[in-house]
Formats: sequence, structure tokens, C-alpha cells
Amino acid sequence: MIQPVSVPSGTTSLGDNIRIESLGVYLPEKILTMEALLASCRRRPRWDLERITGIHERRVAVGEYAVDLAIRAAGQALDMSRYQAEELDVIICTSISKYNRKNEFHLEPASAVRIRAAIGAGNARTFDVVNACAGMFTGIYVLQGMIRSGMARCGMVVSGEQNMPLAETAARELRHSFDGQLVALTLGDGGAALIIDRSPNAHKGFRHIDLVTGAKHDHYCYSRPSRRGPGGILVTKARGLQRKGNEHFPAYFKRAMDKIGWTIDDLQHIIPHQVSVRAIENGVRAVSRYLGSTLPDITRCCADHFGNTSTTSHFLAIHDAILQGHIQDGHNAMLVSGASGIVIAHATYSFDDLPRRYRLRFAGVS
Amino acid sequence: MRHCRIESIGVSLPRSHFPRWGSVRHAVKAGRRCLEASHHRKADIGLLINAGVHRDHHICEPAMAVFIQHRLGINIEFQNRSTLAFDLQNGGCGMLDAVQAVTALLQSAEIEAGLVVASEVNSDRHPDPRFDYAASGAALLLDLSPWRGRGFGEFAFHTRDANADAYVSLVSLAEKRGRIILKRRAELEDIYLSMAGAVVDDVLSRDHVRREDIDFVVPAQISAALLTRLPAVIGFPAQKVINLSRRLPDTLSTSVFLALKLALDERRPVPGQKALLLSFGSGITVAAAVYRF
Repeated sequence: MIQPVSVPSGTTSLGDNIRIESLGVYLPEKILTMEALLASCRRRPRWDLERITGIHERRVAVGEYAVDLAIRAAGQALDMSRYQAEELDVIICTSISKYNRKNEFHLEPASAVRIRAAIGAGNARTFDVVNACAGMFTGIYVLQGMIRSGMARCGMVVSGEQNMPLAETAARELRHSFDGQLVALTLGDGGAALIIDRSPNAHKGFRHIDLVTGAKHDHYCYSRPSRRGPGGILVTKARGLQRKGNEHFPAYFKRAMDKIGWTIDDLQHIIPHQVSVRAIENGVRAVSRYLGSTLPDITRCCADHFGNTSTTSHFLAIHDAILQGHIQDGHNAMLVSGASGIVIAHATYSFDDLPRRYRLRFAGVS
Repeated sequence: MRHCRIESIGVSLPRSHFPRWGSVRHAVKAGRRCLEASHHRKADIGLLINAGVHRDHHICEPAMAVFIQHRLGINIEFQNRSTLAFDLQNGGCGMLDAVQAVTALLQSAEIEAGLVVASEVNSDRHPDPRFDYAASGAALLLDLSPWRGRGFGEFAFHTRDANADAYVSLVSLAEKRGRIILKRRAELEDIYLSMAGAVVDDVLSRDHVRREDIDFVVPAQISAALLTRLPAVIGFPAQKVINLSRRLPDTLSTSVFLALKLALDERRPVPGQKALLLSFGSGITVAAAVYRF
């Protein structure tokens, strides 16, 4: 039990870190290019969306639903973990898209219950956390509290995002080139799972997690069933959301570094929410302006080939950067998330030997 | 270890003459009453969790907690004092899950105070006739107890995922605007009761409390039939089990805390008294917690 100390609300105290013990990612095989998606639009927008967003393609789940993507990712994470499924104390599912069958958005039971049953984690507590694209961050934050307070020893934060039904509705319903559903054409499918436990090394793992909700700005982005036909819709005031986000997040970015005494020189990677390539570039410019100098080329981006996979996007980017050899053991990273709400989230993370183990697993030497 | 206590509680009771109230409105009403009864300032609240299942217009993004935070005016702008708002979903047991999550974050010094809210409303134009939950809201303001040993003790959550399909709630997107479909098997209450005894044994043994030490049991008010059978199943005399089924219909996630509030309004608890809270929900999950006044 940690003795309470005075810290600002919504932030973590130092020391007693948790870490990503194992990472699992699942990407469906089918690839859908931006051109093919635009070609399927009933009224094709006149913008060159591929140039504007930098998104060339994304993965699409065929014959699988959101919970299946999460189960596949959970299985991948368990394959690399030293924990067995029955040793997990908690499973937190953070998917936004709970399309567990065609045109069925499941509220109950919690998706985490389905995942628990599928992987055989018979001793795990289960619940879902929903916080838009910051869902996995929020799940990690809650699990961190449970591990630190002694309620859990290790747990899983998992998400499966099947976003393409929103893109399909947009393709059907887009009425003009400024339609609020345009952003749905940037989405992609994917699953990610993390097994988290207490870090044996005080200098590795999550060093600081900071989440804040600016509820005054809750109108910039929302998802709900369509009023015009079947399916769900995602409506985003993209420019406003990006402008408001860029106005505020650089200060939180610096605050996250200040909390653990890091400077930009201590960072080897910045892993932003993979909204689009251009949005990430705009975010980098906003941080550069705030910090007074151009950031080095340490921002990791995989949006060009995975699209925006909402909650899972940071961990797909980590998967990608590890396999490309960018992330090495001992590297430091800043994970940055902006989500509808508006939620701004930052996490500073020091990698242990996860990158080496992850590469070995993919090389088949596990 | 310091315990997490209920610093204040607010409810928005089912009301037949305001049928158009949405889930956010019920949650905000309960939240306002909770804040009025509290000694905390709004700015102290570092965490807001919404544990309700059914949402206005079936919005799945952003979290409903964000709208509730906005309407309650809790640290809504990016500023020095901040609040994190999100939804936690686990059916009828969601509020107890959220209380435990807040407890974890209080005990690990992440926050000074947390607000847990829940509300249930079916906003469909043509609601599924099987959806019989009365619209309601409940809110709890939680902080660390200044008294040793008072507040929430141990929690126990038992899930029987083999019965997960015994209770399914979904939004059908085949129809415009979506529509809630509720599927409950006839044997659902039997499953709840078959799990209740083990959950109560588990939480009492974790908390080192005997049955005779518990002054009253507050179960979710699922139905009169379940509440009649419950005392024998969990090994408590019927007079210790709060049964408000004549006044209070089933309200799903808010039920336990609506019943607790009404029970406390009738008889003010004496310091040292102990209550056992019992929730039933999809999963199938049965949850229990010990609370010391």
C-alpha cells in the first residue's frame, strides 16, 4: 500500500511503476486502399483525401467482429507472456466499437466477459471502460491504481476496434465534401492487448500517466446510430477538434516531461494517436511552437498503412516501430492521445527488454 | 489501509410523470443532489465515472460521463485543477465496479475525491417491451474515510461466463436511430440465486466478518420473487434483507444505491453498523461489498 502523498488530481505519483509485460496485436489480413474506399462512396468527395490525410490504406476485418479482434490480440499477448490466462486478476476491455455481430452493438454482457471466456481467464475480474480513443490509456490508468493498491497483481487491457461499419455508413450517406462523416473514411480495424504488472525496475515501465477531460468541448466528435438508415455514424468537426487539441495539449506534453524531469533529449520516441499523417504533423508543429524549437524526427507514425484504429492506434504504432527496429530496449517514449470529449492523455514510458522479446517472438525464437 | 467511504449520496428516483427525462438528465439530477449534500467542492473531484448501461440516443463516443461532467460544471476547461471522466460498463454490477476503481485510485493517491454516477433510460421511440427498467439516476461522492475502519471493506465479484448469453442487451443498428433489444432467459433469477450464496461467503471471509455482524443487507431490487427467496439462499433472516420491491421497481445499475438511500432515509445508521451490498448483472456477475458506517 502506497502512503497517500499530495499530488494533483488525475496524475500518478512517482515510483512503483507498472510495465507492459507483454504486447499482442492483431491486424486483419484484408487491405483496403483509400482509393477503393472513396470509389465505394455514393457521392465521392471532391477532396484528394489520401493527400490530405496521408492515409494510403487500412486493414479491414472480414467475417470477424470487434470482440474477435480483441480475443485474437489477447491470445497474442498471452503467447509472449510469462503469465497464464488463469493468473490474470483483471481484464479491462476498452473497445469503442462493440459490433459483436452485424448491425448489433452489444451493451451487455461486457466485452471483457466474452474475452475472459475465450482465453480461459477463469479467475479474472472483468469490466469494460469506454473513453473514446483514450480508452486503452484509461484502462491502463485504472489497472495501475488496482495494482498499486494491492487489488490486483497483473491484468490485461485489451481492445478490438472494428471501425469499418462507420466508414461504410459514411460511404453510403456522405452528401457533400464538407460532410461531418468525412473523417470516418480515415478509420481502420485492429486489435491490441497489453498484459500489465508491477515493474521490477523502478526506472522502467510507465513513469507517469496524465489524463484530463475538457468536457466543455464535448461537441467536436460523436458516434451514434444513423438517423437516415442502418448502421452507426461518426461525426467530427475535424478542424475545430484539431485546433482546440493543439491549443491545449502541448502544455500537458511539457507537464508530463516535467513530472519526471525529462527533456526532449531524453526522448527517443513520441507515439501520437494515429489520427492521420497530416494531423500528426500539425501536432508536432504545435509542440515545436510551444517548446520554442523544432522537434527532432522521433515521432512514430503508422497511420499511412493502418489508418486510425482509435483506441488501439498507439500500440499498433509501437508494434510497427519495434519490428522496424526503431524502438530498442531501454528507450524512452512519450505516448500522446487526444480523444473526443476532449480527453488529452500523456504517458511517459521507459522500455525494458520488451522490444527484444517482441522481435524474437516474431522471428520465431520465442 | 484507509477505507473509501460514501461522503454523500444523491438519487433521481423513478418518476412516471417525467417520461422524457434522458439518462444524462437523471444522472445530473442525482449528481447535483449528491454535490449539494457533500462538503467537497466541485473542483476537488478528480474522477467521474459513469456506470450506467443505456445511453441517450445510444451515443457510444464520447463517454456519457463527459456530458455529465459538463452539465455538472466539474473542471470543464483545461486548467490547473482537472477531472478525468469515463464510462465503466458491467451491467447491474457497474456501480460496485466503479466504486472499487475509485477506491484503488484513492488508495494509490491519484485523486482526492471521485464521483460515481449511473442512470438508466430507454430513449427509443418504440421501446422493446422486454425493457422494463424504470428510468432513474444515482450518484455517490467517494473519498478516503477519516475514521479508521469505516467505509467500504472488501469486494467480491463472481462471474459465470458459461451463462453469458442468459442476459444480453444490445442496440440493433438495423433500424434507424438504433433500438435496444433485451434478451433475458427465464432462468436468469435462478442463476443469480445459485451464485449469491458463494459471493456472500467469499466477501464475508475476505473481510473477516460473520453473518451475525451484518446489520442489514441491501440487494439490487430485481423483483419481489427474487427478494423473497434471497434471504434463505444467502443465510440471513428476512428482516435483515431490505425489500423495497413494492416501492422501487428494478432500475438495473442504480438499484443497490437507490435502495441504500431509501433505507438510510428511513433509519439513520449508527456508527459501527455494517451493511452488505449485493448486485446482480450480466456476465453473469454477482457482486458483493461490505460497508461499515
